[in-house]
Amino acid sequence: MAENRGWDEFDAGAILFTFNEKVDNIATTLAEDRPYSSSSSFTASVGDWRIEKPIFNKDYCIDCQFCWIYCPDVSIIARDKKMIGIDFDHCKGCGICVEVCPTNPKSLLMFGEHLDDDECLASWPEKDEKEV
Amino acid sequence: MAEKIDLLETEVWDGNMAASQAMRQAQIDVVAAYPITPSTPVVENYGNFLANGYIDGEFVMVESEHAAMSGCIGASAAGGRVATATSSQGFALMVETLYQASGMRLPIVLNVVNRALAAPLNVNGDHSDMYLGRDSGWIQLNAYNAQDAYDLNLIAFKVAENHKVRLPVMIHQDGFMTSHTAEGVKTLQDEEAYAFVGDFKPMNAMLDFEKPATYGVQTEEDWHFEHKARQHNDLMTKVYPVMEEVFAEFEKKTGRKFDLVTNHRLDDAEVAIVAMGTTVDTAMMVADQLREKGIKAGVMGMRVIRPFPFAKIAEVLSNVKAVCCMDRSSPGGAPGMLYNEISGALYNSAKRPVVTGYVYGLGGRDMTVEYLKGIFADGLENAKAGKPTTPLQQFIGVRGPKLNFL
Amino acid sequence: MFEIRWHSRAGQGAVTGAKGLAEVVSTTGKFVQAFAFYGSAKRGAAMTAYNRVSDKRIINHEKFMSPEYVLIIDPALIHTADFTANAKENTKYIITSHLNKEDLVKSQPKLEGKEVYVVDCMSIAMDTIGRAIPNTPMLGALMKISGMYEIDFFKESMLNVLRKFPQKIIDANMAAIQRAYDEVN
Repeated sequence: MAENRGWDEFDAGAILFTFNEKVDNIATTLAEDRPYSSSSSFTASVGDWRIEKPIFNKDYCIDCQFCWIYCPDVSIIARDKKMIGIDFDHCKGCGICVEVCPTNPKSLLMFGEHLDDDECLASWPEKDEKEV
Repeated sequence: MAEKIDLLETEVWDGNMAASQAMRQAQIDVVAAYPITPSTPVVENYGNFLANGYIDGEFVMVESEHAAMSGCIGASAAGGRVATATSSQGFALMVETLYQASGMRLPIVLNVVNRALAAPLNVNGDHSDMYLGRDSGWIQLNAYNAQDAYDLNLIAFKVAENHKVRLPVMIHQDGFMTSHTAEGVKTLQDEEAYAFVGDFKPMNAMLDFEKPATYGVQTEEDWHFEHKARQHNDLMTKVYPVMEEVFAEFEKKTGRKFDLVTNHRLDDAEVAIVAMGTTVDTAMMVADQLREKGIKAGVMGMRVIRPFPFAKIAEVLSNVKAVCCMDRSSPGGAPGMLYNEISGALYNSAKRPVVTGYVYGLGGRDMTVEYLKGIFADGLENAKAGKPTTPLQQFIGVRGPKLNFL
Repeated sequence: MFEIRWHSRAGQGAVTGAKGLAEVVSTTGKFVQAFAFYGSAKRGAAMTAYNRVSDKRIINHEKFMSPEYVLIIDPALIHTADFTANAKENTKYIITSHLNKEDLVKSQPKLEGKEVYVVDCMSIAMDTIGRAIPNTPMLGALMKISGMYEIDFFKESMLNVLRKFPQKIIDANMAAIQRAYDEVN
């Protein structure tokens, strides 16, 4: 975002535009292919806000889409109703996706931001028999 | 497609009907309203037109005036022609949203049928509500009679929606004295009126699917001042040129002339009354009567209240010796608004006239010809003496011991 | 310029009458105002309505008026309303009453020495329109006393004012106007 602009340098009415150019069929265009403007939050990374990160384990995922629905930052990436991963530019590490994940063991778990993803997956817990 | 109404060249309308008819002719997309006396008939007439097939747009009944203006803001941001009407307590409830509308630069037209503010409760006309809105960043136009209410509605859309302006406009008319007084109003036929107002041209429409816009953003210390400065700059510099252009076009079409300030026989006047609303008309009549007796009286009417025509006022009052400013609103522990602002405009003028103030007509109290003659007489004494011969603030028409201040 | 003050009860149609008169006057190229004093008065409360008629554009918006004509369309108001307020020496009073002029003046001494005309608008309205709306008959009486317009021209103009009503009501109003014109004295 261009900082320190003077009063004569913006659109009247404090209006912000989502896209840099005219768009067409936006609903069928993937987020990463949309011409988001600098005033859209899509172009701002908040990844460094995280203390913990969600790690996705596809072995247990049933594609229920709960995480996709509940994520407050639209950071669950799904294609054709299948969960494929997390948008770490916009995930703030709130952990809601883990809370709502219904599988046993969970298909999403929070780990320290500094930890290696493979090590996290290797330390995935077993099924909790008491919960069944 | 809405049906047309064949209008007589002169219709007998009250100010409310005049506003409703102009709104109908402007083919508004959305009216969101919550009726309140004395502006109720503006909305009632409009609803009647809609029910009878004379209007294509949407009419939204809401649950309060706050919601009415909120609905107007949403519809205007979405990208349509929008208007509503209110008065008094309703206007007061609307105030929060008025600042939203002007800050988002939405060209909403609001008919304010002026009425007193409670307590005590009163449905009659004074300018308290008008004064409440004067720092809200809206353009404020002032009607002196029903004809003005009709004309200024048509003018308001054209000024507000101009892409150089993009600011909301209030049209003020006096509750009952204008709104419920039927008089001859020269009309434009529906096609002519619409051709004058023109098609609505969207700008940064929120619901432009090719280029959607976000309205109502948050700006803290690092951005807010710049946006407010931009809005003030546009009020101060962009409105007058467009307004004068629209006035000229309107005069060409109708022969009816509007100016930023109404100059009635001021050029050689010794004494002038400055007023708003119906009092301007009555004072002009009184000035004409005094002229027949050789008294050089004139009247300045505040056609445009905001943006305040500072330079124009200094110009038209430059040769007057005494100016009497008439405020129809209780000033709440201060000189009246007109007294203050007119004094400000004249303080640095070469001849610096004597300026005095009057508070009158609260809650609909009649401003009579006799009172106006008395005020002109005061002014004449001030002109002769070259200084105030009365207190600077006099209450006119109030019962009890004479009330003066300052 | 001449001015008219109506004394009425809210709901009897004084405002409609004043506006109807204004519409007729306007079609003849004259200038006109019609207004009323409002408060939060309910149906039945005493109220006043006003007309100004002039050959020149009317820019006087004061409510104060010293009328040429006072029209009283409710029979009881001569006993309760201040109907002589701000009157001129030669103000004409057209009063709705079932009494004859002599008895009427006896019942209200304020009328002594005034130019008084009597017409029973209430009975006329009940007979013709079937409701106690004495406004249009009063206009018929005003035409007779003031000579403002020929009665045929006035009735024709009122047809236009009343055009949104059903034919039966229009006919009844026409009959009421004519009867009041004929009967006022």
